[in-house]
Amino acid sequence: MNRRSFLTAAAAAGFAAAAFNPDVLYAASAGIGDWTLGVADVEADIAPQALRLVHGRAPAGLAGKLYRNGPAKFHRPGGSVSHWFDGDGLMRRYAIDDGQVSLSARFVDTAKRRADTAADAVVTAGFGTAGSKRASIGGADDVNAANISVMMAGGELWALWEAGSPIVMDPDTLETRGPKTLRPDLKGMPFLAHPRVDPDGTVWNLGVAGRKAVVWRLGADGALQAADVIDLPRASYLHDFTATARHLVLVLQPWIHDRLVAPIVDGYSWRPEAGTQILVIDKADLSRRRVFETDAFFFFHMGDAWEETDGTIRFDICTSPDPKFAVKGARAMVEGRRPVLTASPDLRLISLHPDGRTRIERAGLAAEFPKADPRFAGLARTKTASLGYGPGDNPFHQSVAVRDWKRDRVDSFDFGPRHLLEEMVFVPRPGGSAEFDGWLVGTGINLDAKATELHVFDARRVAAGPVCSWRADVALPISLHGIFAGA
Amino acid sequence: MTFPRIKTAALLLSIATLQTAAFTMLPLNSAQAQEAANVTVTFTGIQSPTGAIMVGVYDTEAAFAGGQPVQGLRVEVAGPEASTVVAGLKPGRYAIKIYHDVNGDGRMNTNPFGMPTEPYAASNNAPARMGPPAWADAVFDVAAGENAQSITID
Repeated sequence: MNRRSFLTAAAAAGFAAAAFNPDVLYAASAGIGDWTLGVADVEADIAPQALRLVHGRAPAGLAGKLYRNGPAKFHRPGGSVSHWFDGDGLMRRYAIDDGQVSLSARFVDTAKRRADTAADAVVTAGFGTAGSKRASIGGADDVNAANISVMMAGGELWALWEAGSPIVMDPDTLETRGPKTLRPDLKGMPFLAHPRVDPDGTVWNLGVAGRKAVVWRLGADGALQAADVIDLPRASYLHDFTATARHLVLVLQPWIHDRLVAPIVDGYSWRPEAGTQILVIDKADLSRRRVFETDAFFFFHMGDAWEETDGTIRFDICTSPDPKFAVKGARAMVEGRRPVLTASPDLRLISLHPDGRTRIERAGLAAEFPKADPRFAGLARTKTASLGYGPGDNPFHQSVAVRDWKRDRVDSFDFGPRHLLEEMVFVPRPGGSAEFDGWLVGTGINLDAKATELHVFDARRVAAGPVCSWRADVALPISLHGIFAGA
Repeated sequence: MTFPRIKTAALLLSIATLQTAAFTMLPLNSAQAQEAANVTVTFTGIQSPTGAIMVGVYDTEAAFAGGQPVQGLRVEVAGPEASTVVAGLKPGRYAIKIYHDVNGDGRMNTNPFGMPTEPYAASNNAPARMGPPAWADAVFDVAAGENAQSITID
C-alpha cells in the first residue's frame, strides 16, 4: 500500500492529514453565559457518589443503570480541541436501585487521551481538530475519542465513536479494556455510534468510509454474525441510520466528503442542489436496494423506522437547513461562544411510499435527540420523545417533548433557561407492554445549583413534570447519548 | 566526532564511483569486505509469538515509499523478542520498515477499508503520522563494521 492510498483510506475512515492546530482561546472573554458549564473540563474520574433526591418520589419498579457518554475534556495547556465533538469521552454510570442513585464516571482510556495527556496538549487529530504533526497516528483507533455513545454487548460495555472500533469497558467499574476487534481481518473498521437493535436483540450497525460502508450484524450476545461491505451512491456524512423489521434506511444528505484536508470536517462540501438520497436496503439481501430522492436537508439523528402493511416506510428525523452547527456551531461552543445557526433542528416524519414518492410531515417542533420505545424498534408506533430549545442564549436544551404522530399532539415540559438537558431514554415499566408505558429518564445541569441532575418522567404524562429528580455534588458537562440497562 | 564523519563521506564518494546495480550481489574482495557494514536489528514488544517479521532495507526515499528494498529478510518469531543481522551493506544511509506477518500468510493484511491489521514499524521507531512512517524519521547512518537498530513492535 502506498502512502497516498493509506492516507485516502485513513481520511475516509474519519481522520485526515495532520497540520498544526492553533490553540483555541477559551473563556478568557468576559461575559460569557454560564451555559459553558456544559462544555467545562472534567479533570479526573468521578468516584461513586450518592445522588440526593430533590424532588418527588422514586417510582416503584425503576431499577437499572443509565450509562451516558460524551466529551468532557476539551482544553489542555499546550493546545485545545477546536470542536465540541473532539473532547475525551467520559462514561457516566447512574445506578438506580430501590429509590437510590449512585453516580460514577470514568474517562475512556483511549490512545488519544494518553497521547494528549503525555503531550499536555491536544496533539491528536479529530473530527474538527486538526491535531499536531507531533502525534503518532497509525490507525483510526489512535484518534478514537470514544465519546459519542454507548451500548451493551453481551456482558461488555462499549464506548462508541463513529470512525473507529468500539472501546470495551467494564460495566461495573468502568475500567477500559481496549478496542474491540470483532474479527482479526476487521481490526480497526469503523463502527457508528448509533446501532439499531431489533426487539430480539439483533444489533445492526454501519461503518462508513467514503462511498463504502460495512454493514455489521451482531447477535444479542454481542457476537459477530456478519460484516459485509457495500457501495454507497455518495460519500455523505452519515452519523446515524435507521431500520425497519426488514430494511436498513440510510439517509444520504448532500454534505459530501470530497477533499482530503485537516480537520476532517473541512473536507465536506454542502451541495443542496444535489438533494437528499434515501437508500433502502433489504436486511436479508444487501444487494437488493432502492433509492428515494427528496429535498436537501442536514441531520444527525433519526428515530426507529417501521413499515406499514402496504410497504410504506416511515421514520422520524431531526433536520436542519444546513450543516452550520457541525461546521461552525460546535467549534464556537468550545470557545465559549453561542452557536449562530440558520435554524434549530426540527422534528419530521418521512414516509417512503412504494410508488417512489417521498412525503415529509413536520411536527412543528424544534427538536433533537429523538428517541422511541425500543420494544417497538422496526415496528409500527406512534410516539417520539425529543428535547427542545429555549429562546435564550443557552445553546443546549431546556424542554422535553413527546410527539404523538397519530393524535397529532405534543406532550411537553419546559424546565426553563436555568437547565441544560441531555437526551432522554425510555425505560419500560415492569409488566407493561403498551408503547411508552414507562419512564423517560435523562440528565442535565441545573445552572443555579451548579450540579448534574437525574430526572424521571412518566412517559405518558410529560406535561406533569418530573416524577422525581436527584442531584449530584458535581456538574458534569453535557453528554451526547445514553442507554438504560435494566436491573 | 568529526573524523569518522569525514571518513564515512570519503567512503561514500569512493563507493559511489564503483556502484553498479548488482553491487550487493558481487562477491566481496578483501578490501570491500573491510568496508562492508552489518546492522543487528532487534525487535521487541512482539504481542503474538507467531509467524514472522518481514524486513525491508531501503537506501533511497523513493524505494522506501514503495520501491524495491536492497535487502529483504524474514525473521521467525517465537517469543516477545527477535533479532536478525542485515549483513554486507555498503556504509551509507538506510531506512528499514517491517511488518509482523502474524498469521504467516506472507503478506501485510489489511481490513476491507485498506487499513493494516498486522503490526508494522520502522527504523528509529519512526512514528506513523496519518500515513506510513516517513523516510526522514526512519533514515539512519550505517558505518563500516557493526551497527545496531532496535525496533519496537506494538
